[in-house]
Amino acid sequence: MCFFVIGIAGCSKSSLPGTTTIVSSALEGQVLTDFSNNLVNPNYQDIQARAFVMNVAIDSLVANTNTANLVAAQTAWKNTRAAWESCEGFLFGPVEDDSYDPDMDDWPVNKVDLDSLLASSNPLTVSDITPLQTTLKGFHAIEYIIFGVGSTRQASQITARDKVYLTSLAQSLYNTTTDLRNSWDPAAGNFTAQVINAGAGGTYFASRQAVFLALVGSMSDICNEVANEKMQTPFAAQDSTLDESSFSHNSINDFTNNITGVQHAYFSEYKGAAGHSLHELVAAKNASLDATIQSQITTAIGSFKTITVSYEQAIYTQKTQVKAVQAAINTLQTTIEEQLVPFIKQNIKD
Amino acid sequence: MKKLKITGVLLACILLLVKCQKSAVFPADQYNDQLSGGDETVFDATSQSFGNMFTGLSTYDEHVHKLGDLVFNQSFVTEPAIIHGGLGPIYNNTACTNCHHNDGIGLPTAGDLQSSLLLRISLPGADEHGGPVPVPGYGLQLQDKAVFGKVPECKVNINYTEQLFYFADGESYELRTPTYTLSNMYLSLAGGYLLSPRLAPPMFGLGLLEEVPESEIVANADPNDANNDGIKGHANYVWDAVTQSRQLGRFGWKANTASVLTQVATAFNQDMGVTSSVLPVESSYGQSQYDGLKDDPELPDSLLNAVKFYAQTLAVPARRNTTDATVKHGEALFIAAKCASCHRQTLTTGVDVTRPYLSNQVIHPYTDMLVHDMGPGLADNRPDFGASGQEWRTSPLWGLGLVTTVNNPGYYLHDGRARTLVEAIMWHGGEAEGSKAYFSNLSSADRAAVIKFLQSL
Repeated sequence: MCFFVIGIAGCSKSSLPGTTTIVSSALEGQVLTDFSNNLVNPNYQDIQARAFVMNVAIDSLVANTNTANLVAAQTAWKNTRAAWESCEGFLFGPVEDDSYDPDMDDWPVNKVDLDSLLASSNPLTVSDITPLQTTLKGFHAIEYIIFGVGSTRQASQITARDKVYLTSLAQSLYNTTTDLRNSWDPAAGNFTAQVINAGAGGTYFASRQAVFLALVGSMSDICNEVANEKMQTPFAAQDSTLDESSFSHNSINDFTNNITGVQHAYFSEYKGAAGHSLHELVAAKNASLDATIQSQITTAIGSFKTITVSYEQAIYTQKTQVKAVQAAINTLQTTIEEQLVPFIKQNIKD
Repeated sequence: MKKLKITGVLLACILLLVKCQKSAVFPADQYNDQLSGGDETVFDATSQSFGNMFTGLSTYDEHVHKLGDLVFNQSFVTEPAIIHGGLGPIYNNTACTNCHHNDGIGLPTAGDLQSSLLLRISLPGADEHGGPVPVPGYGLQLQDKAVFGKVPECKVNINYTEQLFYFADGESYELRTPTYTLSNMYLSLAGGYLLSPRLAPPMFGLGLLEEVPESEIVANADPNDANNDGIKGHANYVWDAVTQSRQLGRFGWKANTASVLTQVATAFNQDMGVTSSVLPVESSYGQSQYDGLKDDPELPDSLLNAVKFYAQTLAVPARRNTTDATVKHGEALFIAAKCASCHRQTLTTGVDVTRPYLSNQVIHPYTDMLVHDMGPGLADNRPDFGASGQEWRTSPLWGLGLVTTVNNPGYYLHDGRARTLVEAIMWHGGEAEGSKAYFSNLSSADRAAVIKFLQSL
């Protein structure tokens, strides 16, 4: 027994000094409910609604291929993308398990195959493109056609084949956003119930702690992905074609919306409708950690404003600002990993 | 007083040493049996439970692991590409994660985006290293997809025949037997070839299994059944193309792969068509789909190494409900049925001072890493080095109870034919015939206890 105790004491890697009282169980339940009802479901509904608008805009572009309709389609793409990138702040559950993420947002575009496909006479209906590689579909394939390399696309350059493919791509994306929405919808797949009933009848999460760990894990993951992959890869290579949204020059918006998604996750908030949140749980036990996280989220999101050109240009002309943004996001990620994750393990015991 | 202090310090030092040498000092059964992966066990029972990084890695190692994670999830595209090129010309899938979904197993389908089943092919006989003989024009693996403008080698068709069986107590169960047929061959294929289906296996714990000393694995072999228990496991020694030497096979359903590096490089090369410095020849070389590009190796060494390291440093999920009375009862039945004779509960990794996170760990993988005759029902009848057409490597059972969470609904065995753990058990034959019969003759409650035990892994 003595050996066992010493072994535990010596090997423990995550135990924290401090309080052993747990956070109010009722509040935990309210947070999970509001996280689902005030953030995830409305966010997924919004993605679907915006994808529908994009679908209509692309139909108009295909019917009347002029500059105004091209700009409208581009705007609709950016609007849909904003709602999608924001939900990447909490990427767990069906969006990962059922591969909705790669279906919609794989990268890079397989440009060689896409150009060949468009140059061919292969059929391009929605069912024809369903089995294609994910790098030939989704946001970035649409982006490639409506923005073009270097964001130079003119309406007059859009070919008949482009139009057929574009129509199917937009419909296919809309179908996936519908599946994603349904996956959490209490009237359909109802993953919401798995979250709300975690540890109490839910089969997916063994405990509430597991949900919160999945949530903060996904918050940390997106910070890492933005700072150390999406921003770092083109920056290190000094090659703007490696930007994720290089065709639309929308990368800064992508990044900002990703980190805003982290903020949403922390506050159970979407479009101003906040509820009980992780923030409350943390503040109840460790006001200082809560203040740190809030401040670091605000700083990270605000830091993007210091970049005054597109990210495609910034990697060449505003390197200092790029490094500062990366540092701000990495600081937030470190706090999540080294303080928030242990906080959850320490304080959420059911 | 001073003497007491010195004694105290000495005692503390001894205890500290004892703690760090636990496998040498304590019998395994005195350890917390939740810790399936020793110190590298993670308490996570969610759909992401197969994808956790080891603890205790250095900052640099963490960076390499995370880079490997990114590449593992990265889709590859056709050359020439700005980044992540090298896909194809023929392939089975475009990203590691598409088959090893959530770092777990996959779907036993072929030809879809999320399909995780592939077919190995060969001619009868053995090559100069004792391995399978490649089929001219096809090699050793069928690639059923191709980049635009190239022709896949074939289409794989899977059909199942269902059959109803009964336990001794009258309760029924169903087994489905798969048959694989090929169509749309890009090149005529004479008969007489051998096929073997392989489902993508889980990714975690591979570094620990790689670190188990060869001597410990071989010591458990009993090829001539000297102890007369009907179980004759033996090591599969294979030709390792990376080191160009004969090695103990550790990975793959027939233990035909010596190391994680070889496994990873082979998957890039054969499954995705991505060449690397250790396997620089395109899978389509010599075939009509060959791209003729002078771009090999397509995968930078840094990324190959990162994915290898990622696969070596995925933590093992902890067991759940280990103190549950039914689970305990099921475990006793598992041992009584001699399941543990092959699905060995405990192995110990070797000492590796350069990689302390892998070193000297008492692990509970439930495998002996040997190959066994599993009977004609499961046979692929395609020898793979020392593993005959009826022999398969004992599959590790750690994480088994999480498969339905990580890869809902979950499939089992080398080709995913089993849809439940009961089906998986009832497919056992050959050396496991006795164990299967033991299970089959149990009461319904006892069978449920065995299943509950397996679900705790």
